[in-house]
Amino acid sequence: MGMDRERPIESYLPLRPVEFHILLSLAAGERHGYGIIQDAEARGETSVPDVGTLYRALRRMEDQGLIGASERRQAPDAGDERRNYYRITPFGLGVARAEARRMEALMRAARLGGLLEARAR
Amino acid sequence: MSEQRWMNRSERWFGMLLRFYPVDFREEMGEALVETYRDRARAALRRGGATSLAGVWLRALADSMRNGLGERMRPAISWRRSGNWGRDAERAVRRLRRAPLFALSMIGTLTVGLGAFAVVYAVVDKVLIEPMPYQRPDDLYFVWRNYGWFDLKRGWLGGTDVAALQEAGGPIQDAAALRRVRMTLAGAASAAAGGDPEEVAVMATSPNIFPLLGVRPALGRGFTPEEVGPGRPAVLVLTHELWQRRFGGDRSVVGREVRLNGTPYTVIGVLEPDFHFARHSSLGAPQTAEAYITLEVDLPKTNPGAGSYAGLVRARPGTTPQALAAAVTAVGTMLDRRDFEGRGLRLDTVGLKADLVTAVRPALVVLGAAGVLLVLVLAINMASLLMVRAAQRDHEFAIVRALGANQVALVRATLLEAGILGALGGACGALVAVWGTRALVALAPTDLPRRESVAVDWQVAAVVIGVGALLGLLAGAVPAAWATRTELSALLRNASVRGGGGRGTLRRAMVVAQVALSLVLLTAGGLVARSFQRLLRASPGFDPSGVLTLRVPAVAARYPNDTTVVALHQRLERELAMLPGVEGVGAASALPLTANANQTGMGFPGAPGNTGDREHDNPLVDYIGATPGYLDALGIRVLQGRGFSRDLSHAALREVLIDRQIAAEFFATGSPLGYRLPVGDDTLTVVGVVEHARMYDVHQDGRPQLYFRDEYDPDRAVSFAVRTSRPPAALVPEVREAVRRVDPQLAVAEVRTMDEVVNERLRQPRVSAVLLAGFSLGALLLAAMGLYGVVAGSVNRRRHEIAVRLALGADHGRVLRLILAEGAVLVVLGLLVGLPGIYLSGKALAGVLVGVSPFDPVTLGAVAAGLALVALAACYVPARRVSVIDPARAFREE
Repeated sequence: MGMDRERPIESYLPLRPVEFHILLSLAAGERHGYGIIQDAEARGETSVPDVGTLYRALRRMEDQGLIGASERRQAPDAGDERRNYYRITPFGLGVARAEARRMEALMRAARLGGLLEARAR
Repeated sequence: MSEQRWMNRSERWFGMLLRFYPVDFREEMGEALVETYRDRARAALRRGGATSLAGVWLRALADSMRNGLGERMRPAISWRRSGNWGRDAERAVRRLRRAPLFALSMIGTLTVGLGAFAVVYAVVDKVLIEPMPYQRPDDLYFVWRNYGWFDLKRGWLGGTDVAALQEAGGPIQDAAALRRVRMTLAGAASAAAGGDPEEVAVMATSPNIFPLLGVRPALGRGFTPEEVGPGRPAVLVLTHELWQRRFGGDRSVVGREVRLNGTPYTVIGVLEPDFHFARHSSLGAPQTAEAYITLEVDLPKTNPGAGSYAGLVRARPGTTPQALAAAVTAVGTMLDRRDFEGRGLRLDTVGLKADLVTAVRPALVVLGAAGVLLVLVLAINMASLLMVRAAQRDHEFAIVRALGANQVALVRATLLEAGILGALGGACGALVAVWGTRALVALAPTDLPRRESVAVDWQVAAVVIGVGALLGLLAGAVPAAWATRTELSALLRNASVRGGGGRGTLRRAMVVAQVALSLVLLTAGGLVARSFQRLLRASPGFDPSGVLTLRVPAVAARYPNDTTVVALHQRLERELAMLPGVEGVGAASALPLTANANQTGMGFPGAPGNTGDREHDNPLVDYIGATPGYLDALGIRVLQGRGFSRDLSHAALREVLIDRQIAAEFFATGSPLGYRLPVGDDTLTVVGVVEHARMYDVHQDGRPQLYFRDEYDPDRAVSFAVRTSRPPAALVPEVREAVRRVDPQLAVAEVRTMDEVVNERLRQPRVSAVLLAGFSLGALLLAAMGLYGVVAGSVNRRRHEIAVRLALGADHGRVLRLILAEGAVLVVLGLLVGLPGIYLSGKALAGVLVGVSPFDPVTLGAVAAGLALVALAACYVPARRVSVIDPARAFREE
């Protein structure tokens, strides 16, 4: 669907953790659902999203035009299972970057405010 | 158990878990969801065997329960989330954008209809509804003298009356006397505006006028209570318009000296731009003034017999109109006893606003009602357009519903679409109305009350946009209700019979309503147009074509006595007569159709028509001073005897002319010629009977008229009528030059052709006729569109049936008649339903029609026949399509 691109990027912020994980994964390349979960696990994330949560987010984000369904299929040698792959849209990438910047600004503020220790150089 | 068996079982389990999710989510995402669970399950199985797999199963159960429920509560596709109107609106706009033709035709129709509605609403609102810009405007009243002993129910007050009202107290808080005079303003004008003398309308009032109205000058001050009476300081308050026009808005004008009729006046103040007070008139339309001065007389010492003032009264706060009227009547009774020996003088009270709008109220009420009817027709039209669109989308509706969208969401989507269309149409309509009102105001009579305030403002625009949105919602409710009933099964069943079923009945009912409403509107339009046609053809008793008129006031300072005034009039007549192409020149104290004549009670003692009844034998007549050339210049026919002699002998100056009315009333038997009419101490001789040149209305006679020689009692501000073989308007510069040659200090006022004077009187009926005709044609068009749609739909729907009929041997003509009959039934039903409406509209129209009955059979018949004809044509065009139906092809397409 993806028809909401008239909305400014800022109106999507802040992203939910699951949404950020999805965008983060897809920014590196196309993934299927389990791939996104594996990425999150690989990042050492403590709260890996549940499958249901993941797909609700995928559907919502597809509707918002942040991501899209990919036509790509797994290489034939990986078995005969059909897989649904997702890719990030340029708009989704913009939103992910904006979210990252937002978080960075918060981090900086937290450091300046003494909530976090200054990064060791 | 092999890995494959575990995986198969897992897949079945995950498939079952999907049931927790709503159907639309399941259909869209289910496959991928299961796929991912399977990936997970496989990884767990390889890592930790059956125990790990059990953990995945349990976790999936918890996950599905939580997220399935969550998805049902808050769908990811958020337009199905109840309450998200903003998102819905966005979607509706998007859908409309995808159907630009539909949206444009809808908004176009609405723009025209609501634009017309907005214009009428703006006028009705400003003239009839909005309060006047004074303090507590409902406490302001005009008071009139009602003479019991002759036919003058709305006479000017005497100064003594106003003085008595001022002293009365009680419910009467204050009273003011107003008199409007035309004066020549000269001198002390700013250099930019030039110093030409000009005639301005000046209100001479009691000094309390501004506090009484509750307004204060924007610049300088108002009058003090002492600035009145003989020897009062000559002070002047300017209106904003005059200040701008004559003094270029110069703020230093306060304290400056100007000359009015040659007398120096000091400007003490300038009024607010929105001050447009109009003094109501004993006869004719309310009149405004450009400047205010105070009365030079002492009201209690004036002659009670002379009525010269409009009386404006302010009631104490909280006084009911009845209580005020009673108080004023009591003062009247006292005055009757004191000044009129109890002959029966009464003082009547009428509310400022009620009085102001009396003349236009019937026309405005009719226009307002017509506007509402038009909007109704529009609503029905919009509903049927939306129904057609809904029919085109029934596929979409059915599928969306089968996929689990709830009814509320569908209704909301449909309503939103219609509401957005309505509001957009309203906005466009309001925009159109901004220009529309300007055009209307330009067309409207100059004496339309509060003309200057008629414009589309934000309030009017908001109302119109609101009406548009409301219309949209109402019209959208019909297809919305229908959309909720659309089932997929019904869709499949009706795949070849789109637009059938109950909706057909509804659309037919709407067409019947449209025809009925159009009939009412068309009848009103037809009657008003016919009435206007009568007005145009009415003979006003003179020949207005080829006549230029102008008024030239003679200032007392330069023309101190009758002799000099008469000499001036003669010189002006001579000078004007010498202009090329001029065929005749005359002057009179009051031109026809200007409602400007003086009145007097006049008896004709000894005339055969006297009945002994005091009121009948002493009618109030318009008496008009005229020069000998006047009758010819205006084309007023002499019916009997002759016009005035041209000389200034003693006998010639004492000639009078009577009009057709006096002749018929008093000299029906015997000739009036030579009748000696006692006037004051003098005796005048009737030398001729002339046609009644209508003074007030184009279509009906006014008071009886009596002409005497201008030279006998010259008027200081006569109007000249110049008959010319050239286009009269082309004469204007030469006429002005001619007046300047006689005396450069003379002001020239009201230069206009007699045709313009006549048109001015016809403005209101013309505007009404144009608007109503427009409304009714619009309604007719909409009704025709509705009929066309129904018949076209019917032909489409019955394609199969028609093909069968044709295949079985029916010829095209017969089938065509069948289809036409279907439309004809609707038209006839509509006409029948409209009949009571005609009766109601006829009652409302009675007040605005001239020379035609509201139930005029010719008009009614013509309108019904015309409507039927157009309606049948609207049926015939789509019905003709049956002729191109080829049974063989129709069957192949099945």
